[in-house]
Order: sequence, then C-alpha cells, then structure tokens
Amino acid sequence: MTCTLGEVKNRADFIVYWGGNPAECHPRHFTKYTLTQKGKFVPRGRKDRTMVLVDIRETPSAKAADIFLQIKPTKDFEVLTILRALLKNQTVDRELAAETGLTLEQLQDLVDRMKSARFGVIFFGMGISMTRGKHMNSAAILTLVAELNAFTKFVAMPMRGHGNVTGADVVMRWTTGYPFGVNLCRGYPRYNPGEFSTVDLLVRGDVDAALILGADPGATMPQPAIDHLARIPTIVLDPKVTHTSRLARVHITTAVTGISATGTVYRMDEIPLPLRPALKSPYPTDEEVIRRVSKAVEKKMALSTASNGITMRA
Amino acid sequence: MDLTVVKNATCTFCGCVCDDIELHADGVRIVKTKSACSLGESWFKNHTAEHLYPDALIDGKPATVDAAVDATADYLIKANMPLVYGLSNVTCEAQRGAVALAEMVAGVIDSHTSL
Repeated sequence: MTCTLGEVKNRADFIVYWGGNPAECHPRHFTKYTLTQKGKFVPRGRKDRTMVLVDIRETPSAKAADIFLQIKPTKDFEVLTILRALLKNQTVDRELAAETGLTLEQLQDLVDRMKSARFGVIFFGMGISMTRGKHMNSAAILTLVAELNAFTKFVAMPMRGHGNVTGADVVMRWTTGYPFGVNLCRGYPRYNPGEFSTVDLLVRGDVDAALILGADPGATMPQPAIDHLARIPTIVLDPKVTHTSRLARVHITTAVTGISATGTVYRMDEIPLPLRPALKSPYPTDEEVIRRVSKAVEKKMALSTASNGITMRA
Repeated sequence: MDLTVVKNATCTFCGCVCDDIELHADGVRIVKTKSACSLGESWFKNHTAEHLYPDALIDGKPATVDAAVDATADYLIKANMPLVYGLSNVTCEAQRGAVALAEMVAGVIDSHTSL
C-alpha cells in the first residue's frame, strides 16, 4: 500500500513522518511533495494538512510539525502495537503505554486523527529500520497502515536515502525476482536476508572477492566487514578515491552519475526519471566499465572452456 | 567561456530525485544552481569535470583502465563466491549490467537496502 509523491501532493491531508528528519536529510520533501504544495483535493496547501512527527529526539523537522510525539528509544514497535490495539478498541494498560514515552491520551488522539483522515500517509525513515526490531518495525508500520484501510485511505512509504537505491531494488526485482541480497551462485536466484546480505557475508567471511560500485562500505560498515574487504580482492568503481579504494586491489575512476553520466534513476516512490548531465567527464561511466568487465569475463571464460573442455563453474 | 544552461536537470543526491533543477556550467564546473536545496547545491558544485584522480589504481599504483578491467575480470573469475555490492549512486543501466555480471560470475548481488 503505497502511492506516488504526486498523489500525496494532491490528496494527503494527514502526513506522519516516523524516525526520519526530512528537514535536514530530504530538504525539499515538505515543499515539493508533501506539506506546503497546494493539491487538487487539498486546495489550501499547508492549511489543509496535518503533520505529525514521531521521533526519539526533537530534530529541526519538529518545527514543521503540527504535533511532535517524542517516544523513548527502541520503543517504536511498542508504540505501533499499541496504535493497532487502540484501532481495534482494545483496552491498553495505562502504565505499559507510558513506557513508550507517550501518554495513552496522546496515542488515542493519534489513532482518532488517523481514522478520521481522508487520505493518510506514513513516511518511515532509518530511525525505524536501524533500531531494535529492525525490519519487524517496518512490518508493524505496514500492518498498521493495512488495518487503517478498514476506516480510510492510508498508505506508507519508506524515506529512501541515497540517490538511486530505489532503482537498485527495482532493477533487481525485475531481473532476479528479489529486491536485494540475491545469491546467483547456483545459476538461479536465491533470496535470504541475513544469509546473503552483504554485512553478514563479509563478517562471516563467506565471499572471496568483492566488486563495489556506487557505495563506500569502507567508511560505513562494521569493522569486521571492512577487515574482510581488505583481506579479499576488492575492486572499486567510484568517481573519487574512497576509503574502500584505499583497501582495494583495483580502483577505477568513473564519471559522476547525473552530473556527467546519463541514464535513469528512480525516485523514492518508484518513478523513473531521466538524468540530464551538465558536464563531460574525462572518466568512463560505471555502465561502460561494467560492460567492459563483462566482455573481458566472457572472453576469458570462453578461452578457459576451449582449452580444458569444461566450464569454469558447474 | 559561455555558460551552458541545463534546465530540468535531475539531482541524485537523496531519494527525492528532484528533476526541476537549473544548472549553469562553464564546461569544467557547475557555477550556479537554481531550485536545488543546500544538499543538492553542494552535490552539484563539488563535482567537476577535472581530472583529479588517476584513471585507475592497481595495488595502489596508477594504471590504465584496460589493465584494471582485465585485473577485475581475473579476480571475479577466480573467486568461488564473488560479491557485487553498492548500486546506490549509479544509474539503472549500470545496475542492470551489474546484475548480468553477477550472474555470469555466479556471485551474490546486493545493495544498500540490506543494511
């Protein structure tokens, strides 16, 4: 149950941001898509919309909110579960509710507002998926939103960070059937987050070579994962010599996506948009380097097949 | 040098992917942005068309792209379980190529989403 940002702009009269700080991380989200724009069914723009921010600390985004709900760290799942209980008119223990940092009245008020919205949306950020409970928290948000549809139209959308991370999900979905962490070792796709996700593969030492493009894990991943990248042959494609490049065996400098490399990028609501680069880069694009590596791999594999009569891999 | 103006340019810094940016470029750098937020403006202005880094590095030493491509192919073929990771700041076309490459070398492909 999601929608495009255009639908939010034209319809949403109740907007919740949960575990995110759009004022600093997605500065134009409010003004271009969600809050201040006038829409077809919200003709007065900001005046027709209510904005709620749920977070563990008061970020600059709180200034934009009509209601700021400060919850205690790691209590996202509990808050969501209480909201689901209240939605179904179940009795919630006042003291248990208070452990979340909110009063029962605040929670009931939020549920009432959600139910009486014409078109509600929850944008959830990394504060949801990077805290205790991880994907269980995201699942709780999606369940709450599904259940809200018994009363009114309600949707949810993750606040995606890096430029084309949404595109990575989309491309892997249509090529392999799964959105990320896809194992192709057996010649067909297998999907199991926790087993085939990068940090787990690196920390366990499962992989014996790594090709990194459009990312700098050497600056962001847990140390044991970085240590393994330094142990194995790591290859980096990046416009800059990054932390990962410094521990890699091979680095290839590429053109910057969107500034000097053209192509397609997906917005967080899965709308594909064309790039219009303004500069010509002295470096090849990532797309071109991948194509050249693929050709080299193809040639070398064909050679080895011809010389020993068997393929490199079953 | 005359400035080239690109209208409706697309910013790939964050997931908003705003596609209403106006860029003024002098061939080497973007000197002016319109409609971009502070993050977008520094994204556009901090990347130039200058040759600031070596084309490629092998074991920390400058190398040609051809040699680096060749070494990359060797490492990927030799590995039993190569990993292709990242994919956030590249185009869908590059992502598609990366999936095909991962399949060819029988590896794992993953993005920032798994973090």
